[in-house]
Amino acid sequence: MSDEIIQIETPFQFNEENKREFDELIGRYPVKEAAMLPTLHLAQRQEGYITPAVMKYVAELLELSVMKVKDVVTFYPMFFEEPVGKYVIRVCHTLPCALRDCKVVLDHLKEKLSTDVASETNLAKGTTDDGKFTLMKVECLASCDVAPVIMVNDNLYKNLTPEKVDEILAELPN
Amino acid sequence: MVQERRILYEHLDVPNINTFDVFRQYEGYTRFEKAIAEYQPEEIADMVKESGLKGRGGAGFSTGEKWSFVPRDIEPRYLCCNADESEPGTFSNRYVLEKNPHLLIEGILICCYAMGIETTYVYIRGEFTLGKKMLDAAIKEAYEQGYLGENVRDTGLNINIYSHPGAGAYICGEETGLIESLEGKRGQPRNKPPFPAVQGVFMKPTVVQNVETLCNLPFIVGNGVEWYTQMGPTYGDTRFDPPKADPNTGTKLYCISGDVNEPGVYELELGLTSTELIEVAGGLRGEEVKAVIPGGSSAPILTHYELDTRLDFTSLTLAKSMLGSGGIIVMNETRNIVDCLLNIMKFYAHESCGQCTPCRWGTPWVRDIVQRIADGEGRQTTITRPKFGVTESGRWGDTGETEEIYEDLDLLENVANNIANVDTMTWNTICVFGIAVSWPAVSYMRKFKPEFEAAIREGKLVTLPVAEATVPPEENYAYQQRFIPKEFADL
Ligand SMILES: Cc1cc2nc3c(=O)[nH]c(=O)nc-3n(C[C@H](O)[C@H](O)[C@H](O)COP(=O)(O)O)c2cc1C
Ligand code: SF4
Ligand code: FES
Repeated sequence: MSDEIIQIETPFQFNEENKREFDELIGRYPVKEAAMLPTLHLAQRQEGYITPAVMKYVAELLELSVMKVKDVVTFYPMFFEEPVGKYVIRVCHTLPCALRDCKVVLDHLKEKLSTDVASETNLAKGTTDDGKFTLMKVECLASCDVAPVIMVNDNLYKNLTPEKVDEILAELPN
Repeated sequence: MVQERRILYEHLDVPNINTFDVFRQYEGYTRFEKAIAEYQPEEIADMVKESGLKGRGGAGFSTGEKWSFVPRDIEPRYLCCNADESEPGTFSNRYVLEKNPHLLIEGILICCYAMGIETTYVYIRGEFTLGKKMLDAAIKEAYEQGYLGENVRDTGLNINIYSHPGAGAYICGEETGLIESLEGKRGQPRNKPPFPAVQGVFMKPTVVQNVETLCNLPFIVGNGVEWYTQMGPTYGDTRFDPPKADPNTGTKLYCISGDVNEPGVYELELGLTSTELIEVAGGLRGEEVKAVIPGGSSAPILTHYELDTRLDFTSLTLAKSMLGSGGIIVMNETRNIVDCLLNIMKFYAHESCGQCTPCRWGTPWVRDIVQRIADGEGRQTTITRPKFGVTESGRWGDTGETEEIYEDLDLLENVANNIANVDTMTWNTICVFGIAVSWPAVSYMRKFKPEFEAAIREGKLVTLPVAEATVPPEENYAYQQRFIPKEFADL
């Protein structure tokens, strides 16, 4: 993908707060490229997902080709290239959580949100019609002692049961 | 009953220990002050070597030795703290970051002083939002208090610490994957050599160290090598005991999960057995232990015959397994080992970075074979192959006899062994992720062969009673190193 082919309708730019944070970040590394992951995290927080415009902007900031940025974005599961719900629900399904019935939690969420589970190449599949939730499975979240666990955006919820899941969902602001 | 020996975790639950003031009340930063006041950098490095401290992140490599490979004449040098913690079953670093981040900073300061390092990056896995927030706050405080920044405590040292978020890829825990990722690239491991100690991040000498390893440093400096080396197994006379020359000193943050009543992190002196650990963790949830994974999902499984194996670096290596990250997963009699292997293989198939063909293709292939067996569609044809066992010479080898085996089980073993061969310990891949795939695949299949056979024969998952599901050690080369040394020991 060469830079010219990408069609960008509205350019992306950091808001002031993120720009400040970026300026602080970039000073930490001897080469600009190293600021890639933190910069992409900032951009995703602002925009919701990594659009072509974001990639172009990040490439300009870090003095790289858009191709290089895309290369990185596609490698890491935490960067989304499609829109996701307001709340991203990550359900851990690795062995220690599986031994503690994470499947019950996942099935309950599927039913409750009436959605399928997203795959990395198809996030829409796990996103509710109202755009409020995206449901996905993830690997061990390093909290196996309190399994089964889920993350809703940045927050971890422990020792889950279907009842607790209901409580969590009910408490989320609209 | 075995007692917890809290050293790293001693003050973990003190309210507000994450703040500088409270940390300071509990000897915080005094060990670093002692280091700079009483020792030369090289002396600290020597102390760490003498302490026998081994890396707690997975490989169990001697920390002091690793430091000795770092060329001291190349500037700048870097420290990368590995806080990626993504090995399934491991969760001890998270608590350090979230509750006691100043301890990690003090450990980093000591390492930086010993190695003449000015810049440290703490690579934190992307999902640890709270951990990163707490660490960032602690770093900020340490700058304000003059423990970080230029001219630290008027010593002329310049030390900076930056946290760096990952983005959800397991392979970035591998040290060279971490380095690539830190440089802003895909986290694909590098060929070694050159090792990071010589050419690491930004092609400069780099020390990569796990959070727990670094947290040991304040205690080694503060209490001395002699105090430190007293912690660890004292050996009796059983033939499995590791030789003294290979030290297993200090405590370990054992993470125990799965079928126990009180899962959690337990800090204990190295060298207790699985039975003891299960007891410490509130006992087994269930009737009988079927299997124990001793070092994160990459480690070969232990059967009920091996519950007396000490959980330290050397004993587990002799048992053909590893302590790895210290993530212990317990399974009771209701668990089906085929099902457990399927879960783990899905994990690895998802996490392969895709650089090496054997790993990229082999790992999903292994997963598919296990999936097929679990679905009751395992191939029922059998093949005849040479049988391995104790030969006339008393050594392990080809017995000259043959055995019948289901085609799919032979295939499973073959594909896995061609990613990385667990018998010869050679691998066809860039990083040891390959071993982390074939170790569980082959060990589960060999040690719990009856359960795999039953699934193929019956066309569905069958959970056998523990005794029937497990192959006895005498009959199986998965246990080879553990049971063969007897022959050598008797010589
Ligand atoms: C596939 C793979 C994943 C790893 N994941 C981690 C990890 O999450 N955390 C960690 O500290 N070490 C991990 N390691 C081990 C590191 O490569 C490295 O040995 C370690 O960080 C060195 O630090 P230590 O000597 O203090 O243990 C992993 C290794 C491999 C091969
Ligand atoms: S062994 Fe697998 S994970 Fe490691 S470098 Fe090769 S493809 Fe990547
Ligand atoms: S397996 Fe779910 S947190 Fe570790």
